[in-house]
Amino acid sequence: MTEHSPRYRSARQSGYLLCIDCDKLHTISQEGQHCDRCGARLHSRMPNSMNHSWASLLAAILLFLPANLLPIMTFKSFGQGEPSTILGGILHLLEQDMLMIGMVVLIASIVVPVLKIIAMIILLCTVQFRLQTNLRQKTIMFRIVEWIGRWSMLDIFVIGILVALVQLGNIAHIEGNSGATAFAIVVLLTMFSALSFDTRLIWDKRAPELPPGMTDKKDEQ
Amino acid sequence: MVYTSMHGTPEQLIACHECDLLMERVASKPGEDVICPRCHARLYYTTINCIERLLALSVAGLILFLPANLFPILSLRIFGQSQSEIILQSAMSLYEGGLPLVALLILLFAVVVPLFQLCALFYISCTLHYQLEGRLLRQAMHSYQHLRGWGMLEIFLLGVLISIVKLKDIADLEIGLGLYSLAALIVITTLSSIFFNPHQIWDEIHQHRQRSFSDD
Repeated sequence: MTEHSPRYRSARQSGYLLCIDCDKLHTISQEGQHCDRCGARLHSRMPNSMNHSWASLLAAILLFLPANLLPIMTFKSFGQGEPSTILGGILHLLEQDMLMIGMVVLIASIVVPVLKIIAMIILLCTVQFRLQTNLRQKTIMFRIVEWIGRWSMLDIFVIGILVALVQLGNIAHIEGNSGATAFAIVVLLTMFSALSFDTRLIWDKRAPELPPGMTDKKDEQ
Repeated sequence: MVYTSMHGTPEQLIACHECDLLMERVASKPGEDVICPRCHARLYYTTINCIERLLALSVAGLILFLPANLFPILSLRIFGQSQSEIILQSAMSLYEGGLPLVALLILLFAVVVPLFQLCALFYISCTLHYQLEGRLLRQAMHSYQHLRGWGMLEIFLLGVLISIVKLKDIADLEIGLGLYSLAALIVITTLSSIFFNPHQIWDEIHQHRQRSFSDD
């Protein structure tokens, strides 16, 4: 059977609604009420999922520039040392033949955020313009994005550790700069964007059908 | 398995939480996953001794949390001067250095969230295992589920390893007891997220609530 087999029907099309917190099935007329098993509010689809997801993503894209252009930390030894950006720090590692570590930081700080932003744009466009290709691939893409996104916090932790450890006055001294704040917010926003995205929307090929006689209180599509 | 003719009661059916496909519920044997035929998400599965394992792990985790946060992770020595750090100091130094937001995020992701999750897990498993009165069971379960992915101890550990590589040429570094405890703590939190079976625990919570209602 293919992804688009007509034999597949969603719970929503059949008049059911799944509690996303405890996976108990309810009838769709209970939209907006509380789940009798876990107490969570019931929604057939996350309310305003697309709006929240787009908003966080666009904010992340805007902040991506200051995050990469502003310095994230300054290393000073005997009064010498320049502030360095994320890319500068990676190039410094590569120059010193620390190829493996350089690659890890490059992947966590630049490759993952960029790919995550691109993947979220693809996913949001899929739902927005009701594209119907490779839905399973897109679901897998979302799972990867959701899992890997948090690893971008790596550079923030490294800054925190170095700043706490290298506080030796004039001899050696590391301090954090404002680029770190911007970068931390970028990571946070992309995580929020993925969190507000409802994967079930990928599979709602047309405007989600409801059984006759039922109206959806919070229809966002 | 038949995926059509969906006219049962909600108890006989199950929907996929990732693609909303409606299916008939089938029993899952221990060690066997029930997979969504359309998007391949794992729908439900059975974990043997789920509650007991989580109880053991959360106790171990709470014990390990202390040395991981109280003993130094790394010590550094240059020209006779030395400096050592615990996890909390990463947040404090950034706060003093004028980056309060970054400091707050490190505090949350590396200390507060992991501790809160361990406490929630201990509360859930202890209440269910010993059949105690658990008024906050549902809240504890919701907060644990919503905080999944926000505890970032393993990323912090990778950060420590990268810091070691960055500093090893300019200073003498010594690995502290805190780092070993942190590594052990990560093993515990990873295992507990593997054994954490939301379906089974919600079922147990449901039964627990019904029992306490019938007692009243």
